Amino acid sequence: MLILTRKLGERITIGDDITVTLLEIKGGQVKLGIEAPRHVSIHREEIYERIRHENLSSCGIGEADLSEAASLLASVASGDHGTES
Amino acid sequence: MSNEQVIQMPYGMLGFPEQKRYVILEHRENSPFLWYQSIDDPPLAFVITNPLLFKPDYSVDVESVLEEMSWIQEGKEDHVELYVVVNIPKGAPEKMTANLVGPVLINMRARQAVQVVLPESSYSHRHPLLERD
Repeated sequence: MLILTRKLGERITIGDDITVTLLEIKGGQVKLGIEAPRHVSIHREEIYERIRHENLSSCGIGEADLSEAASLLASVASGDHGTES
Repeated sequence: MSNEQVIQMPYGMLGFPEQKRYVILEHRENSPFLWYQSIDDPPLAFVITNPLLFKPDYSVDVESVLEEMSWIQEGKEDHVELYVVVNIPKGAPEKMTANLVGPVLINMRARQAVQVVLPESSYSHRHPLLERD
Protein backbone atom coordinates (compact mmCIF):
# COMPACT_ATOMS: atom_id res chain seq x y z
CA MET A 1 0.00 0.00 0.00
CA LEU A 2 1.27 3.44 -0.95
CA ILE A 3 0.95 5.87 1.97
CA LEU A 4 0.99 9.63 1.35
CA THR A 5 0.73 12.50 3.79
CA ARG A 6 -1.42 15.42 2.63
CA LYS A 7 -2.46 18.76 4.14
CA LEU A 8 -5.95 20.24 4.00
CA GLY A 9 -6.79 21.29 0.44
CA GLU A 10 -4.00 19.26 -1.13
CA ARG A 11 -4.65 16.64 -3.77
CA ILE A 12 -3.38 13.39 -5.06
CA THR A 13 -3.75 12.25 -8.63
CA ILE A 14 -4.34 8.68 -9.74
CA GLY A 15 -3.55 7.95 -13.35
CA ASP A 16 -4.36 10.69 -15.84
CA ASP A 17 -7.91 11.46 -14.91
CA ILE A 18 -8.60 10.88 -11.21
CA THR A 19 -7.92 13.41 -8.46
CA VAL A 20 -8.69 13.15 -4.78
CA THR A 21 -8.84 16.36 -2.70
CA LEU A 22 -8.67 16.49 1.10
CA LEU A 23 -11.55 18.87 1.81
CA GLU A 24 -12.05 18.76 5.54
CA ILE A 25 -10.61 17.20 8.68
CA LYS A 26 -12.86 17.12 11.73
CA GLY A 27 -12.45 14.86 14.74
CA GLY A 28 -11.90 11.36 13.48
CA GLN A 29 -13.37 12.10 10.04
CA VAL A 30 -11.96 13.36 6.79
CA LYS A 31 -14.01 14.59 3.86
CA LEU A 32 -12.66 13.70 0.41
CA GLY A 33 -13.58 15.16 -2.95
CA ILE A 34 -13.08 12.75 -5.81
CA GLU A 35 -13.06 13.68 -9.47
CA ALA A 36 -13.08 10.80 -11.90
CA PRO A 37 -14.54 9.89 -15.29
CA ARG A 38 -18.15 8.74 -15.20
CA HIS A 39 -17.30 5.16 -16.00
CA VAL A 40 -15.19 4.81 -12.86
CA SER A 41 -17.47 3.61 -10.10
CA ILE A 42 -16.79 4.97 -6.64
CA HIS A 43 -18.51 3.53 -3.59
CA ARG A 44 -18.21 3.61 0.14
CA GLU A 45 -16.64 0.24 0.78
CA GLU A 46 -19.31 -1.01 3.19
CA ILE A 47 -22.14 -0.34 0.72
CA TYR A 48 -20.26 -1.97 -2.12
CA GLU A 49 -19.54 -4.99 0.08
CA ARG A 50 -23.18 -5.29 1.13
CA ILE A 51 -24.38 -5.41 -2.48
CA ARG A 52 -21.60 -7.74 -3.53
CA HIS A 53 -22.52 -10.08 -0.69
CA GLU A 54 -26.24 -10.02 -1.58
CA ASN A 55 -25.33 -10.77 -5.21
CA LEU A 56 -23.08 -13.62 -4.19
CA SER A 57 -25.59 -15.32 -1.92
CA SER A 58 -28.43 -14.87 -4.44
CA CYS A 59 -26.45 -17.17 -6.74
CA GLY A 60 -26.63 -19.95 -4.17
CA ILE A 61 -30.41 -20.15 -3.96
CA GLY A 62 -31.66 -23.67 -4.56
CA GLU A 63 -34.66 -24.53 -6.70
CA ALA A 64 -36.50 -26.10 -3.74
CA ASP A 65 -36.23 -22.96 -1.60
CA LEU A 66 -37.18 -20.75 -4.53
CA SER A 67 -40.28 -22.78 -5.36
CA GLU A 68 -41.30 -22.80 -1.71
CA ALA A 69 -40.82 -19.02 -1.55
CA ALA A 70 -42.96 -18.56 -4.68
CA SER A 71 -45.70 -20.75 -3.17
CA LEU A 72 -45.60 -18.79 0.08
CA LEU A 73 -46.06 -15.51 -1.79
CA ALA A 74 -48.86 -16.96 -3.92
CA SER A 75 -50.71 -18.21 -0.84
CA VAL A 76 -50.37 -14.83 0.87
CA ALA A 77 -51.68 -13.09 -2.24
CA SER A 78 -54.70 -15.35 -2.63
CA GLY A 79 -55.26 -16.95 0.79
CA ASP A 80 -55.83 -13.96 3.05
CA HIS A 81 -59.50 -13.68 2.28
CA GLY A 82 -60.41 -17.35 2.62
CA THR A 83 -61.94 -17.52 -0.83
CA GLU A 84 -61.42 -21.21 -1.53
CA SER A 85 -64.67 -23.00 -2.21
CA MET B 1 -30.72 -19.14 -27.33
CA SER B 2 -31.08 -16.42 -29.93
CA ASN B 3 -28.79 -13.43 -29.79
CA GLU B 4 -31.64 -10.98 -29.37
CA GLN B 5 -32.44 -12.33 -25.94
CA VAL B 6 -28.95 -11.71 -24.61
CA ILE B 7 -28.55 -8.76 -22.28
CA GLN B 8 -25.16 -7.09 -22.14
CA MET B 9 -23.83 -5.68 -18.87
CA PRO B 10 -20.82 -3.48 -19.72
CA TYR B 11 -19.79 -3.35 -16.05
CA GLY B 12 -21.16 -6.72 -14.95
CA MET B 13 -22.93 -7.26 -11.66
CA LEU B 14 -21.16 -5.87 -8.57
CA GLY B 15 -18.48 -8.36 -7.62
CA PHE B 16 -18.78 -10.10 -11.01
CA PRO B 17 -17.10 -7.73 -13.49
CA GLU B 18 -16.06 -10.50 -15.88
CA GLN B 19 -19.53 -11.89 -16.54
CA LYS B 20 -21.13 -9.46 -18.96
CA ARG B 21 -23.81 -11.47 -20.82
CA TYR B 22 -27.07 -12.61 -19.29
CA VAL B 23 -30.47 -13.97 -20.18
CA ILE B 24 -33.69 -13.72 -18.17
CA LEU B 25 -35.41 -17.05 -17.57
CA GLU B 26 -38.85 -17.52 -16.07
CA HIS B 27 -38.78 -19.42 -12.81
CA ARG B 28 -42.14 -21.14 -13.27
CA GLU B 29 -45.80 -20.32 -13.64
CA ASN B 30 -47.24 -18.04 -10.91
CA SER B 31 -43.80 -17.26 -9.58
CA PRO B 32 -42.72 -13.63 -9.17
CA PHE B 33 -39.11 -14.71 -9.55
CA LEU B 34 -36.83 -14.78 -12.55
CA TRP B 35 -33.42 -16.30 -13.04
CA TYR B 36 -30.84 -13.80 -14.24
CA GLN B 37 -28.60 -16.34 -15.85
CA SER B 38 -24.99 -15.70 -16.88
CA ILE B 39 -24.09 -17.01 -20.32
CA ASP B 40 -20.35 -16.69 -19.79
CA ASP B 41 -20.42 -18.67 -16.56
CA PRO B 42 -23.45 -21.00 -16.52
CA PRO B 43 -23.39 -21.93 -12.81
CA LEU B 44 -23.88 -18.22 -12.11
CA ALA B 45 -27.57 -17.32 -11.85
CA PHE B 46 -29.05 -14.58 -9.70
CA VAL B 47 -32.67 -14.55 -8.60
CA ILE B 48 -34.40 -11.27 -9.40
CA THR B 49 -37.91 -9.92 -9.07
CA ASN B 50 -39.98 -6.83 -9.78
CA PRO B 51 -39.66 -4.64 -6.65
CA LEU B 52 -42.99 -2.93 -7.26
CA LEU B 53 -44.79 -6.17 -6.42
CA PHE B 54 -43.53 -5.86 -2.87
CA LYS B 55 -42.86 -2.16 -2.43
CA PRO B 56 -45.19 -0.16 -4.68
CA ASP B 57 -43.61 3.18 -3.72
CA TYR B 58 -40.09 2.05 -4.60
CA SER B 59 -38.43 4.52 -6.88
CA VAL B 60 -34.98 5.00 -8.34
CA ASP B 61 -33.64 8.18 -9.86
CA VAL B 62 -32.50 6.84 -13.22
CA GLU B 63 -31.54 10.13 -14.85
CA SER B 64 -27.76 9.79 -14.43
CA VAL B 65 -27.92 6.11 -15.34
CA LEU B 66 -29.72 6.85 -18.59
CA GLU B 67 -27.04 9.34 -19.44
CA GLU B 68 -24.11 7.15 -18.48
CA MET B 69 -25.46 4.20 -20.43
CA SER B 70 -26.20 6.47 -23.44
CA TRP B 71 -29.80 5.29 -23.36
CA ILE B 72 -31.14 8.84 -23.74
CA GLN B 73 -29.14 9.67 -26.85
CA GLU B 74 -30.34 6.54 -28.54
CA GLY B 75 -33.97 7.20 -27.67
CA LYS B 76 -34.14 3.97 -25.75
CA GLU B 77 -34.98 5.36 -22.32
CA ASP B 78 -38.60 4.23 -22.40
CA HIS B 79 -37.78 0.58 -22.18
CA VAL B 80 -36.00 0.44 -18.86
CA GLU B 81 -37.28 -2.17 -16.43
CA LEU B 82 -36.39 -2.27 -12.77
CA TYR B 83 -35.42 -5.46 -10.93
CA VAL B 84 -33.94 -6.27 -7.54
CA VAL B 85 -31.76 -9.16 -6.41
CA VAL B 86 -33.49 -11.69 -4.15
CA ASN B 87 -32.03 -13.69 -1.30
CA ILE B 88 -33.42 -16.73 0.47
CA PRO B 89 -31.64 -18.17 3.50
CA LYS B 90 -31.11 -21.90 2.98
CA GLY B 91 -34.16 -23.83 4.19
CA ALA B 92 -35.95 -20.68 5.34
CA PRO B 93 -37.91 -19.37 2.33
CA GLU B 94 -40.20 -17.37 4.62
CA LYS B 95 -37.19 -15.15 5.37
CA MET B 96 -36.70 -14.14 1.73
CA THR B 97 -35.47 -10.61 1.14
CA ALA B 98 -34.71 -8.27 -1.73
CA ASN B 99 -31.82 -5.85 -2.03
CA LEU B 100 -33.35 -2.44 -2.67
CA VAL B 101 -29.98 -0.64 -2.46
CA GLY B 102 -28.54 -2.26 -5.60
CA PRO B 103 -31.28 -2.50 -8.22
CA VAL B 104 -30.65 -3.81 -11.73
CA LEU B 105 -31.89 -1.62 -14.57
CA ILE B 106 -32.52 -3.51 -17.77
CA ASN B 107 -33.14 -1.74 -21.04
CA MET B 108 -35.13 -4.25 -23.04
CA ARG B 109 -34.77 -2.43 -26.30
CA ALA B 110 -31.02 -1.76 -26.08
CA ARG B 111 -30.54 -5.26 -24.58
CA GLN B 112 -28.29 -3.71 -21.95
CA ALA B 113 -28.33 -3.67 -18.17
CA VAL B 114 -26.53 -2.09 -15.26
CA GLN B 115 -26.58 -2.63 -11.51
CA VAL B 116 -26.63 0.68 -9.69
CA VAL B 117 -25.81 1.63 -6.11
CA LEU B 118 -28.18 3.92 -4.20
CA PRO B 119 -25.78 5.18 -1.52
CA GLU B 120 -27.93 7.85 0.08
CA SER B 121 -31.19 5.93 0.04
CA SER B 122 -33.16 4.82 3.08
CA TYR B 123 -33.86 1.47 1.46
CA SER B 124 -32.73 -1.80 2.97
CA HIS B 125 -30.42 -4.30 1.32
CA ARG B 126 -32.52 -6.97 3.04
CA HIS B 127 -36.09 -5.85 2.56
CA PRO B 128 -38.43 -8.68 3.67
CA LEU B 129 -40.72 -9.88 0.87
CA LEU B 130 -43.15 -11.57 3.21
CA GLU B 131 -44.85 -9.14 5.57
CA ARG B 132 -44.65 -10.41 9.12
CA ASP B 133 -47.37 -9.41 11.57
